[in-house]
Amino acid sequence: MSTIPVGVTHLSEPLPRHGVDESLRLLDDPEEWREFSRPLEAAAEAAPACWESSVVFEGMHCAACAGTIEDALRSVPGVQSADVSAASQRGRVVWDAALTQPSQWMDAVRRAGYRPLPAHDPLASERRLAETRKMLWRLGVAGLCMMQVMMYATPTYFTRPGEIEPNIINLLRWAAWVLTIPVMLFSCQPFFANALRDLRQRRISMDLPVALGMGLTFVVSTLGTFEPEGPFGHEVYFDSLTMFVFFLLAGRWLELRLRDRTAGALEALMHRLPESVERQRADGSFERVAVRRLRVGDVVRVLPGEAFVADGVVLRGTTTADEALLTGESTPLARSIGDTVIAGSHNLSGVVEQRVDRLGEDTRYAQIVALMTEASTTKPRLARLADRVAKPFLAAMLLASGLAVAWWWPSDPGHAVMIGVAILVVTCPCALSLATPAAMLAAAGSMARSGVLVRHLQALETLAGVDTVVFDKTGTLTRDGFVLARMSTRPGVARGQALALAAALARGSLHPVSRALVAAADAEATVPTAGWRVEAAEEVAGQGVRAQVEAPAIGVHGAVRLGSAVLCGLEPASSEGLQVHLADGQGWLASFELREDLRDDAKTAVQTLAGLGIRVRLLSGDSAQAADRLAGLAGIAEARGGCTPADKLATLRAWQQDGHSVAMVGDGLNDGPVLAGADASVAFGRSVPLARAQSDFVVMGDHLMPVAALFVKARDTMRVVRQNLAWAAAYNAVAIPLAMAGWMPAWAAGLGMATSSLLVVLNAMRLSRPAEFA
Amino acid sequence: MDILYLLIPLSVVLVFFILAALWWAIYRGQFDDVEREGERILEHD
Repeated sequence: MSTIPVGVTHLSEPLPRHGVDESLRLLDDPEEWREFSRPLEAAAEAAPACWESSVVFEGMHCAACAGTIEDALRSVPGVQSADVSAASQRGRVVWDAALTQPSQWMDAVRRAGYRPLPAHDPLASERRLAETRKMLWRLGVAGLCMMQVMMYATPTYFTRPGEIEPNIINLLRWAAWVLTIPVMLFSCQPFFANALRDLRQRRISMDLPVALGMGLTFVVSTLGTFEPEGPFGHEVYFDSLTMFVFFLLAGRWLELRLRDRTAGALEALMHRLPESVERQRADGSFERVAVRRLRVGDVVRVLPGEAFVADGVVLRGTTTADEALLTGESTPLARSIGDTVIAGSHNLSGVVEQRVDRLGEDTRYAQIVALMTEASTTKPRLARLADRVAKPFLAAMLLASGLAVAWWWPSDPGHAVMIGVAILVVTCPCALSLATPAAMLAAAGSMARSGVLVRHLQALETLAGVDTVVFDKTGTLTRDGFVLARMSTRPGVARGQALALAAALARGSLHPVSRALVAAADAEATVPTAGWRVEAAEEVAGQGVRAQVEAPAIGVHGAVRLGSAVLCGLEPASSEGLQVHLADGQGWLASFELREDLRDDAKTAVQTLAGLGIRVRLLSGDSAQAADRLAGLAGIAEARGGCTPADKLATLRAWQQDGHSVAMVGDGLNDGPVLAGADASVAFGRSVPLARAQSDFVVMGDHLMPVAALFVKARDTMRVVRQNLAWAAAYNAVAIPLAMAGWMPAWAAGLGMATSSLLVVLNAMRLSRPAEFA
Repeated sequence: MDILYLLIPLSVVLVFFILAALWWAIYRGQFDDVEREGERILEHD
């Protein structure tokens, strides 16, 4: 909250405000900022606070729009960067609170002809509903009118000239004209509005050629109806017109629905939390309140089928919870009193009361959403390339259609205009610019469902080209800790006693070995430890723990040591595994042998990767012995132990210089530089706050298989991207010459354009299937 | 054939009636969530 005062002081300064929409100005209240923005860490203390806002844009149709909005935003002083994604219709704006206000840059977007909405505005979903309804209504009008116009046109196709009475022909034309009016005025309205806006701003976008085509066809046909002796002859094209309008609208509508579904996993996750929840009142009864009014410490009741709104502990009731979207764990998990539930997971079966421990921004859910939002607004390299091509391409098409009209004009002006229209309608840079982001977003959505977050879409491309995978050992191939494998005790000391004593010492320490001993003791819990006293406990770094212990139940009084052989005054024994010892005043008391907890699916994951032709390597900071042993268990051919992070990085660099493309899989905690040095990086997100995991991919669950699936998915994604780009290029290369030669009627052009962009989205859809864990 | 002078204008009017029905259906929310109704039988309440 420390950054807010900076904004407040600057609020009092006179800012140029005339012409700014009142409703936008409400957003200038710093209290509102947090609803859709987050402060960025300022580089220097004195630097003014920068905020990063998520915005939804209405009225976007194609990639060219994204570029326009970005330009509009960047032209506002104080806006430091703007990234807008056409595929998700969302954007990220970084702005300086000292120089600008949300209302100013939002107004810039509005003046460019789009409607910006704060991404977390609860109105956003309402407006989206209104927009989908209107779109469907436009499509319905176009569809019904098209059908009827076709009926009126049919007789003229099947009869010879003169066979129908001229009066009837005229009547049919007028009827078709009447039914084309609503299509032109209402269904085509977005095309015209966008084209007009673009003309005013002196730029070209997707809708300009299309609107031009519609307008020309309507004018030519209207003249044909009411002035058959005019320059364009008596031909009418109402059937072609309504048909291509319908195809274009249908294409856009389907595309929107598919896109909603592919980006669906993202959306599903982002809109997971309910608006309200039942909170316990002081008298124990429950009232329904808005989630934003909750405070830490409140008790809320969550009904089956609802989502948990906060992280916290279950106080009453038992249930099963679905955490699939947050951890990739697909089986429902049992949750009863004392268990933790996380915001965004679903309560499946029972009514539970939950204490609110963490809310809003602090929840893991919020971090995941922030990462996904960020990922969905970054633009992969190939998409940038396509966007750059789009504008000159459109300009060239306008020119081409003008030339074609000029060429055909002398023979038949009406026909010439229709050829020009066909060229305008058939060109589809949309397929080109959708090709990459549609596929990558679908893949990211699918991976999110199996528990892997994609932080940068670009990384999917890199990952697809990786030929070497390096695993870290602890926390990656193995779970974080150790488990007790074997123990031996002094004659006369029971196993449970020794374990209880070791645990009593270990309880104060956070070392993984200590945690393993405590866990083992808790699991057995055979010796009552009430009345024991552990005093002056002292942790010797890298060695163990020393303390004064009074444990009359097992006859131990005085100094007890737990740790390495050296610490316990014993001969170092040669053993494969990791050993710790326990000693008291009388000398050796017990030895514990621990082993690392290899993840269950490590072997399958390694096999899957090998099956893809990827070399799998293990680099560990642990001893060479331990690394080799674990590599053997996991089926990894080459392991190197005793590596410092610098060694790991050097090894990585050496491989990269040999021409390998290397991906690093680590726990994200102590191998940050190595992750950063790799071509692509995957981190397990359990151990670190997500926002600090500096990797391209974050695994949220506890399994290794999703990592292997990620590599498969990345390769599939790039294959789909290549197919999409090839299709878009081939379509345009074939369709445009056909249209120029006059072999493509306007309706076919509309159908072709709609199908070509639809195919791209459909192809991308294939990636949204859940990853297979074969 | 004179009947066509009546039928053709009538067909235009009919289209407007059908459009009105569609408008009613869309804005009553009939198409807002087409998958939900089928899945509802699987949910417990």
